[in-house]
Amino acid sequence: MSQSEGKVQLIIDGKRLDGRSPDDLRNLRIEAGVLGEADGSAFVQWGGNKIICGVYGPRECIPRHDINPYRAVIKCRYMMSPFASLEEHSRSGPSRRSTELSKVIREVFENLIIAERFPNTQIDIYIDVLQAEGGTRTASITAAAVALANAGIPMKDMVSAVAVGKAGNVLLLDLGKAEDNFGQSDMPVAISARDKRILLLQMDGLLTRDEIAEMLVMAERGCEKVNGRQADALKRFYEEGEEAKFRM
Amino acid sequence: MIPMGEESRDVIMSHIRRDILNSTLSKGTRFDGRAFDEYRKIEVQRGVLDSAEGSALASIGETKVLVSSKFDIVKPFSDRPKEGVLVTNGELLPLASPLFEPGPPDENSIELARVVDRAIRSAECIDLESFYVEEDKVLGIYLDVYVLNYAGNYTDTATLAATAALLDTKRPKVEGGKIIRREYVGPLNPTSLPISTTMIKVGDTWLVDPTREEERVKETALTIATTGKHVCAVQKGKGSLTKEEFLTAIDIAFKRGNDIREILKG
Amino acid sequence: MEEYGGAKPQAEEGLVRDKKIILPGEKIANGKLNVPNTFVEGDATFAAVIGMLDSEGRYIPLENRYRPSVGDIVVGVVTDVRHAGYEVDLNLPEGGFIPTRDMRINLQLGDFVICKVKMVNEVGDVDLGEVRRLPKGKIIEFPSAKVPRLIGRKSSMLMLLKDYAGGDIMVGNNGMVWISEKSDMPLTLKAIKLIEKKAHKSGLTDEVAGMLKAERGARPAPQAPEASEEEGERYVPE
Repeated sequence: MSQSEGKVQLIIDGKRLDGRSPDDLRNLRIEAGVLGEADGSAFVQWGGNKIICGVYGPRECIPRHDINPYRAVIKCRYMMSPFASLEEHSRSGPSRRSTELSKVIREVFENLIIAERFPNTQIDIYIDVLQAEGGTRTASITAAAVALANAGIPMKDMVSAVAVGKAGNVLLLDLGKAEDNFGQSDMPVAISARDKRILLLQMDGLLTRDEIAEMLVMAERGCEKVNGRQADALKRFYEEGEEAKFRM
Repeated sequence: MIPMGEESRDVIMSHIRRDILNSTLSKGTRFDGRAFDEYRKIEVQRGVLDSAEGSALASIGETKVLVSSKFDIVKPFSDRPKEGVLVTNGELLPLASPLFEPGPPDENSIELARVVDRAIRSAECIDLESFYVEEDKVLGIYLDVYVLNYAGNYTDTATLAATAALLDTKRPKVEGGKIIRREYVGPLNPTSLPISTTMIKVGDTWLVDPTREEERVKETALTIATTGKHVCAVQKGKGSLTKEEFLTAIDIAFKRGNDIREILKG
Repeated sequence: MEEYGGAKPQAEEGLVRDKKIILPGEKIANGKLNVPNTFVEGDATFAAVIGMLDSEGRYIPLENRYRPSVGDIVVGVVTDVRHAGYEVDLNLPEGGFIPTRDMRINLQLGDFVICKVKMVNEVGDVDLGEVRRLPKGKIIEFPSAKVPRLIGRKSSMLMLLKDYAGGDIMVGNNGMVWISEKSDMPLTLKAIKLIEKKAHKSGLTDEVAGMLKAERGARPAPQAPEASEEEGERYVPE
């Protein structure tokens, strides 16, 4: 949500509030295979975000009226925990925002999962945000891709995501909370690793065409870096023979 | 072709498992080689959330529960206008097990929250009277119990995480009737540390800290929470038991409770 | 039951040498290969699941969701008895089916069976044949991608387990494993868990053998592995 930036100075002497330069990512740590019961799982700590994702499937489709005889039905549940905000404790349960995010995140993976191989089944992607600090949807997509790979669900490609935006008239990669709340524009993007296709795209604020073109290049570079971290997380999991400890 | 749901398959399989479990138990150990009164590996991480005034992630075996302890300014209950409020909520997250479905809390999540709440409230480890702020305003402490991975016995894992979260909790600064986040006036300092011990009966044998598989074939389930010297909460689940069995279970609960309390303190 | 259809046993050596982890979407060959867990786009073949290349450059999936093929050996549980046949839970979204006319003996709810996949159609129906009922025992789930490792080259790993377990073990391509109740259950389960955790490391057979020896001491198993009996002791529900 962007507002005109009168009150909060987000760029001081060309540096962002947390000292980053415009095209720096926040600290990003990804762990694969952290939950034993889920078919695949991942934990992402990105800036102040802590997000856990568990994947199940393909499994029996319930309720049966959702069933598709040609392909697996993909379901996604994004939920914000009531304790995730740095401020007050909120109510449990879905909100309009979490419903929208569940949908757009599902649509990312509908592009990638080779669903025709599993007719009459469903695949569940569960995302729980345990701590939030701007960019939960892009962190969630990043986590879900790792969890799906960990589950062995066939996909055409990996995907990673990052938000680009504008604050203090500077184009920025990976918006933090203040930049997200008080900046001029926010554009979360998810890009597939091999094909470089855009699988998530939303935007608010005011941007010129040239600004968008530049931001898309930043997003591509950012997504490449994130994809490298996803690959590392998966490699570590398989090389350590699943003995890695889950530290939150 | 009607595919078999997880729940129904478990029902069929549980008949078979009980027989095999009994034959393994008769040789003196459980499927995972543990003694009948032995816990799986216990680990506790404190301070895992920056967004809460206290938090802990506990694991017993592969079962993992996260508890967040977070304050808000709330209205007191009308019959206790000078007392703070403790609210405990439980979630069996669908990512934690193929048996858990998305949706509002079901009877199992509600029972879990209420048992953890009972243990903490009876143990009187939080001084709710010190939570008074001003007329019509008190501190409310929200304990959110989130089961992240269910491999049996989420109850003990949840109580452990909740007690550890309370140990981790810092009282926030309150000014002008509002909480100043990320500024604290000191640790919460719970005055006791309730620990629960859950056991199940299979045939004539009490098994402590059941795995998911053992839970599916149990005849009786019992959770006893202790504080070192006292029993502070009891919940019998399925099945029935004799007086003597209950007293034996209490002895086990004190022993194991004390062991686990040492892990927390250490 | 020594020959298993489906995934072939892996070469013991070279499994983790030169190992390069392949992510979904990475190209593994120019040209159109018809290999499970891959997909073809244009003129090239790509990995669909996370896998690795062995020293011979073969793509091996590290995780997969098992899809039954004709000829696969599978282990399951009878979950429904109908006039026309038996429903069998194979730990898949779809159940397997044994037509009654193909059975010479009667099965009951809860029976464990080992069978061959006879037919699979586009909607996921699976018909089973060559059914053998398994005696009393325990069934566990094991990742299907790692089944070849559990069996081992020329069944070496499985034989090792059976020697120490003292009871029979049957492995299905679907990742269901049956362990005879006559086995040393905790020891067998511990060994299988070790194989699951370290499936893609070299020297695994030695490590498992070492662990089994240490747990058991130098004593061999109390009984030789038994042949599974067609009309063995039947489980009677309470």
